[in-house]
Amino acid sequence: MAENQRKIDRRKFVGDGLRIVGAVGIAGATGFWAGRRAEDDDNLWQIDPHQCVACGNCATHCVLDKSAVVCKHAYAMCGYCNLCTGYFEPDANELTTGAENQLCPTGAIRRTFIEDPYYEYAIDEPLCIGCGKCVKGCTAFGNGSLYLQIDQDRCMHCNECAIAIACPSEAIKRVPAGKPYLPKDQNGGPA
Amino acid sequence: MTPDGNANRRDAVKQPGLWVLLLLTVLGVVGLVALMRTDSGPPARNTLPPSFDYDLSSLAKVDPKWIGYEPTAWFPVAMRVVRGVALGPDGLICVAGDRAIHVLEPDDGRLRRKIALDEAPRCLAADGDLFYVGFENHVAVVDLDGTVSAQWDSRGPDALLTSIAVSQDDVFVADAGTKCVLRYDKSGKMTATLARRDARRNVPALVIPSPYCDVAVGSDGLLRVVNPGRHRIEYFTRRGDYEAPLTWGQSGLAIERFCGCCNPVAIALLADNRVVTAEKGIPRVKVYSAEGRFECVVASPEQLTSTDTMTEETRTAHKLLAVDLAVDRQGRILVLDPAARGVRVFVKKKPHAADDSESGEVNDE
Repeated sequence: MAENQRKIDRRKFVGDGLRIVGAVGIAGATGFWAGRRAEDDDNLWQIDPHQCVACGNCATHCVLDKSAVVCKHAYAMCGYCNLCTGYFEPDANELTTGAENQLCPTGAIRRTFIEDPYYEYAIDEPLCIGCGKCVKGCTAFGNGSLYLQIDQDRCMHCNECAIAIACPSEAIKRVPAGKPYLPKDQNGGPA
Repeated sequence: MTPDGNANRRDAVKQPGLWVLLLLTVLGVVGLVALMRTDSGPPARNTLPPSFDYDLSSLAKVDPKWIGYEPTAWFPVAMRVVRGVALGPDGLICVAGDRAIHVLEPDDGRLRRKIALDEAPRCLAADGDLFYVGFENHVAVVDLDGTVSAQWDSRGPDALLTSIAVSQDDVFVADAGTKCVLRYDKSGKMTATLARRDARRNVPALVIPSPYCDVAVGSDGLLRVVNPGRHRIEYFTRRGDYEAPLTWGQSGLAIERFCGCCNPVAIALLADNRVVTAEKGIPRVKVYSAEGRFECVVASPEQLTSTDTMTEETRTAHKLLAVDLAVDRQGRILVLDPAARGVRVFVKKKPHAADDSESGEVNDE
């Protein structure tokens, strides 16, 4: 009898095997589901432009060598200034598009003449590294129409955002995935 | 395979320790998968140097030898947003903001009275016991008791009234929205439009990128209009003739120039028509001669320190608020500080004190 019990039963062996594989599978699926929940897929990182101080940390603290943060332009707020303090170095030699006059380290802002004395400024986003120098110049002297946003197509969606940790003004927050950007001219303007 | 061997393996399956091991394996798999899903980014920063900070503070430094005034008083104003300051009857200091005018004692800044308004004011001027209060698109005349004696016609949705100046017969109102200055008589009838581009009369266009355009009337009867986008103070006669030779102002960071994209944001006139100017961006208050020659600094950026906190919802820099100015009969310069929400009073340094600061010597007098 005891000898019979020791005999391997092929059907039971296959059954036990299936049970073990099933248990591991269910556990894996549970872990996957728990991971997705913890990852908080319904929310994304974004910069509140009204809290941003354009400190420059976005360019240097993102885990990507080319930061996921880029400059955006709220055209409705722009003064179309000839002397744009987001475009020109302070005390620029000339108000021309010469590289030595430009504040942007990568030349990511295009300046186009409209009519005297108005110029339009557009961000060449692939060139932008999110340093925020233009944002600081525009906000300090002008209307603040330039502002930083996290480009969701570039963002790695890290669980712990490295630039959120480095942000001195706690301007980086979670936003619903359905509204991934906080445009400055549509989210409460100046008082 | 022998029957004995099969029996041993069967025993192993039945051993309870194997089930514990299996359970631990399952828990391990759950933990590993969960960890891999949640910790998807490396914690390290990238390799770029921290070289992108745009330090504006170095641009704001003012050589102490240029500072010709000293602060003597600070009058806080219990308002959330302050917009304009004007000198009322008997030297009273009047501040417009929120939905009110606060009337302060000239000596100690005590609140004498509050005048409630129906809307948020944007600018203020006083003429005797009357206040001309500029709202977004219209002017109201209010007396010291708060009685509204007149509401002038609205200038429409494109208007943005930013400054009022009163002369003997006229009231001049700067409209930054439609980029012109409106002349009214004191009954509220509009009598002329000034400073609007007119090639035939050689009148240049006002360039107003930010919502600031100030006006002031001198004792010579000429109207001073700030053209902030061109960094100039432009002069007009009452009839609207442009006095090009009198116009002055240059852009630049140097102390004698106007910084940023569009400055100055406010002006006030001393008794001898010298001009007090206020800038935004690098907030500084300066005095120029009547001809536009730089004389001295009244308040440096350090003296107009922001009271921002790091947790404020909307930072002051984003609120588009700027300093406003008034001058009282003793020649004191009243600076309305929008960040600190109060009036800073500056008086001219005594000559020997100014000499001391310049030469570094001590005067025993």
